[in-house]
Amino acid sequence: MIVLQILINGLLLGAFYALIGIGFSLVWGVTNIINLAHGAIALLGAYLTFFMFQQWHVDPFLTIPVSFTVMFIVGYMLQRYLMNLVVKAQIFILLILTFGLEIFLVNFMTTFFSADFRSVTPDYAGHSLILGDIVIPYIRMAVFFICVAAAALMALFLDKTWQGKAIRATSLDIEAAMMTGISPAKIYALTFAIGSGVAGVAGTLLTLTQAFSPNIAGGLTLRAFIVSILGGLGRVEGALLGGLVLGVLETFSSYIVGESYKNAIAFGLMVLVLIVKPSGLMGRKYYAEVKH
Amino acid sequence: MALLEIKGLNTGYGDLRILRDISMEVNEGEIVALLGSNGAGKSTLMRTIVGLQRTWSGEVGMGGKSITNASSGTIVKSGISIVPEGRRLFAGMTVAENLEMGAYCNRKDIKHRIDKIFQDFPRLYERRNHLAGDLSGGEQQMCAVGRALMNEPRVLLIDEFSLGLAPTVVDALTEVVYEINRRGVSILIVEQDVQMVLEISSRAYVMEVGAITLSGDSKELLGNSKIKEAYLGLE
Repeated sequence: MIVLQILINGLLLGAFYALIGIGFSLVWGVTNIINLAHGAIALLGAYLTFFMFQQWHVDPFLTIPVSFTVMFIVGYMLQRYLMNLVVKAQIFILLILTFGLEIFLVNFMTTFFSADFRSVTPDYAGHSLILGDIVIPYIRMAVFFICVAAAALMALFLDKTWQGKAIRATSLDIEAAMMTGISPAKIYALTFAIGSGVAGVAGTLLTLTQAFSPNIAGGLTLRAFIVSILGGLGRVEGALLGGLVLGVLETFSSYIVGESYKNAIAFGLMVLVLIVKPSGLMGRKYYAEVKH
Repeated sequence: MALLEIKGLNTGYGDLRILRDISMEVNEGEIVALLGSNGAGKSTLMRTIVGLQRTWSGEVGMGGKSITNASSGTIVKSGISIVPEGRRLFAGMTVAENLEMGAYCNRKDIKHRIDKIFQDFPRLYERRNHLAGDLSGGEQQMCAVGRALMNEPRVLLIDEFSLGLAPTVVDALTEVVYEINRRGVSILIVEQDVQMVLEISSRAYVMEVGAITLSGDSKELLGNSKIKEAYLGLE
């Protein structure tokens, strides 16, 4: 029975990892930017939720649209007026830029929000669904479904809308996209905005499931990175699968070999996937054949 | 009347000047050929017209309006579409999606236009839900032409479209180019098959190392000794 409980815990955690990975993977796949500040951007969303809950007792779930909108705008500005200036530079320069942004954001949060661990605990936090030996907290279940729904919405957006298709077209062939009249600068900004917006949502959901401080930003980015590699770049379904795999793997390895090995095991799996199937578990033909 | 007009155009990559004082025009309803050996700058000229390459100096005008260094959206909206060298389809998108992307700047009545393309290319209709990257070379070229036509261009640029295709496919596509022109679309075509392109075009420009060295009526150029020697392998 404990195995089933661990599996469920893993899936619940994995859906969150998927959500944090989706935006990261999209930005990487389309703009070729490995956004090391992704985790920090998610944390900004988390603090938005935290302060709204603390100051005005706004239900954390209701702050999801706020986190999305605010981080969407922040992401758009960042790409349009900062990243786009250097987007054609070598990947190393972009890494340094996003790394710098990461340091800035983490220190900004530490200065103004303190390095204390925070958590958001609405009244209904303690309630769980109990099925025999299996315990599933309602909040985690809700987080799981929101993550899956967000992934589905994102996939639908990329598949069905003009803007979504333009994003895919730009990721496939930027010059051909320009020939059809698409402005890559705008599409890059939109992509980064969506990636940041979704990260903001992930941050909001994070407050409901664990304590957080500015210092966990790096850990979140790391998860997003592994999820993207596992699933295959730029593909929503891939990130979803990658997240679930990572979540299950982490919970099982914590249980079997101990908490301290989980990073090593996650990275081990990532390296294995890179060797066996470099395009990721669900890498889509022609997409994100890793550039540079 | 000149529809697409290029005056004193200079451009290049880095410090390297590729195009030198190019002046040319494509009039309403014409098929104009652009000839020249590899590295003469034909593709660079095409890229500059559609805004992939910045102009150093000179003017590109379309329908009387300047589109020099305009955004890709403005250029496409002015009525210029390109069938690029190497086709450059969105390999991971379906044929239907590729066609839709061609209408990115001109979305009215899109369904009707896609149906029209499918009528012209029944093969594309059969393959509409396949990924463009999985098509054969000829099918890809049809799709590239279809994508360009979705914008309902007034000037269609065609770059090296016979490259790597079977002769029968090239013949079929040549027919299509003719037909497109008959419907009133002006065409500027770059092509290795000089004989063929001089036969279908009304005027031609010859480029050598980044400059236009010869221009004139296509029928006359077919008889020109320099052309015969350099491009047709005739004495």
